[in-house]
Amino acid sequence: MFSNFRLSMTWVHTWFGLVIGFVLIVVFFFGALSVFDREIDRWAIPETRFEPQPMPSFDRLLLPLLKQVQADKTEYAQKMPLVHDASKGPMTPPSQLIPDEYWAYTTHRDPVLLVGAGFNPPFPKDPKGHNHLHGRATIDPRTGEFLKEGSLKIGSDFFYPMHYSLHWKWKNLGIWLVGLAALTMLAALVTGIIMHRKIFREFFTFRPWKHTQRSALDLHNLTGMVALPFHFFFALTGLIIFASFYYLPVSQTLLKPLHDQHEVIEARQTGLPHERSGVAAPLASVDAMVAEAKRRWAARDMAGEVGFLQIHHFGDASSYVSIYRAGSDRVALVGEAIHFKSSTGELLREEPPRSAVAGVNEFLTGLHLQHFEHWLLRWLYVLGGLLGAVCIATGFLFFVGKRKRKHAESGSQGSRVVDALAVTTVTGMVIAAVGMLVVNRLLPADLVGKGDWEKLAFWGFWIVALGHALVRSAPVTQARMNPAWREQCGVLAGLSVAAVVLNWITTGDHLVKTLFTDPYWPVAGVDLSLLATAGVAIWATRRLARQEHAVAASEPDETLDEENDAALPTTARVQHG
Amino acid sequence: MVETTLYLMAAAAATLLGFAWLALSMEAHWRQVFGQAAPAARSRRILRVLGGSALLAVPGLCLLADRPSMAALVWVMLLAGGAVAAALMLAYRPRALRWTYPWALGRSA
Repeated sequence: MFSNFRLSMTWVHTWFGLVIGFVLIVVFFFGALSVFDREIDRWAIPETRFEPQPMPSFDRLLLPLLKQVQADKTEYAQKMPLVHDASKGPMTPPSQLIPDEYWAYTTHRDPVLLVGAGFNPPFPKDPKGHNHLHGRATIDPRTGEFLKEGSLKIGSDFFYPMHYSLHWKWKNLGIWLVGLAALTMLAALVTGIIMHRKIFREFFTFRPWKHTQRSALDLHNLTGMVALPFHFFFALTGLIIFASFYYLPVSQTLLKPLHDQHEVIEARQTGLPHERSGVAAPLASVDAMVAEAKRRWAARDMAGEVGFLQIHHFGDASSYVSIYRAGSDRVALVGEAIHFKSSTGELLREEPPRSAVAGVNEFLTGLHLQHFEHWLLRWLYVLGGLLGAVCIATGFLFFVGKRKRKHAESGSQGSRVVDALAVTTVTGMVIAAVGMLVVNRLLPADLVGKGDWEKLAFWGFWIVALGHALVRSAPVTQARMNPAWREQCGVLAGLSVAAVVLNWITTGDHLVKTLFTDPYWPVAGVDLSLLATAGVAIWATRRLARQEHAVAASEPDETLDEENDAALPTTARVQHG
Repeated sequence: MVETTLYLMAAAAATLLGFAWLALSMEAHWRQVFGQAAPAARSRRILRVLGGSALLAVPGLCLLADRPSMAALVWVMLLAGGAVAAALMLAYRPRALRWTYPWALGRSA
């Protein structure tokens, strides 16, 4: 098909990269935002702007609250008809389901606490199956108040799921698409390296003064190469995290009998009951168990806080409490679980040190999910994510720049459409995210369903950006730049500044306060990032405007320094042909 | 805590400096920073050794700051950040890198 290996690799890189790039750039950008998801939550829900709290008293505060948690209505509507055996009677309504498990989860960045319950349907089709219906709630651990109904944690409940599922829930298609994109990305990295002949000689090369095509390729190579370990490991670990649950769920399909048998045997070996006994039993003091767990961690020279706490088979004689240590001080996630018998508080089991394989797995998933407390590394992750996004964006620019003159001559609309989609997924996406924050500050705090309006605003901004990019795309057919790039950069700058100003007006938390007089880094960080976004957007607007003027003065743009191209590697032009 | 911050700052500085030196040992980037002349063979050797040593010191500094699992991640990510910073400085503020090798100034002015 191709005359040599490198050309065929180039074909793979170009076309796979283009198609999957539109997904990947979303994954990269919202992944970068997810690094600071809790901080974005604080910005978006001002009543939660206080310091992170340790796990509160279970006996006094959490238990009464957990008893108020109900099964999620959406999940109930979907799952209950599937697991309920209709021949035994009508479906039990969500408010009357009996809880089987309770949990609470926090990290070193959480002022508010996430708690949840799992309910067993009374008449399941498969009594041995995993039939839990789930409920979640967010509480203020200082007062025990529930977070206001309808308020959306924009960082951890919107941007973060966007990162791994694109919010395309039907048949988990979003998660599959993201996985496919990650897999393809691994191929794009390898093919990219094969195409790129001057990895070392051009390692630091970025020539913004050259024409768009050249500087876009420089930036594409630079951002791809310097963050190569990041790109590789995040695509890989992302796949690993979802592999056993979504992508290769053999334990729920082909190997389900083996998996179920293993669960029973494991329960026998560990002494942690797999089934409810059917005999009711009271709950001893969980706080005493927490104190004992902390004492045991300290004795192992790894004193720490509780990150995750779970009660299995609640109210039953076989009930037990699992207490996990928060992983703030290392890469691996929560762990070092200690299990207690619920009715007596007696120690059932202390998890042994991890095996080598489990250790590697926990390191790989932990480095992606990042529960650790390390602010420099967090910011470096943001940088890695943004470098990935820039790499893809410059890839789009190069793709279009390569073809638009040819398409202009042949009358093809190809580069016009690709360019409009690129505008939508680069500037349009950032506009949607920042626009959502602006709307969050404009809507009244007690609006019913506020979070739904914010989601609507997000998609609304994005669709308008797409429409705008398409409407303004005609110049591409004459091998010129789509003015939507410049215009959307301008809008983005305006929105970013507006978000910061609105935050000040509606909450009184301006930067002087959050940085100096009453420091609160989560909000200050989001504000500063918004201002930085505005700065970059203004710079880009002006640069693009200059370029448009220059092009208007001397058509067409790419011939400006053709003589310089003689000295340039011709490989790029040949390769991408 | 203060020590950790200092070690990490030193690691970041060593990464940037290491990449800057390695870049200066290349003809194109030497020209960007110092004007037309190419680095003498001796300068080139010195720059490579300096750059290599600085980058080799980075994992050590990371290990002083954090436990090994964390230090490995910080190291790899600092390499990305340092290389981008060096490339952006070469592109937009090349002269700001002159102080990293002041011995060249007398010769190339």
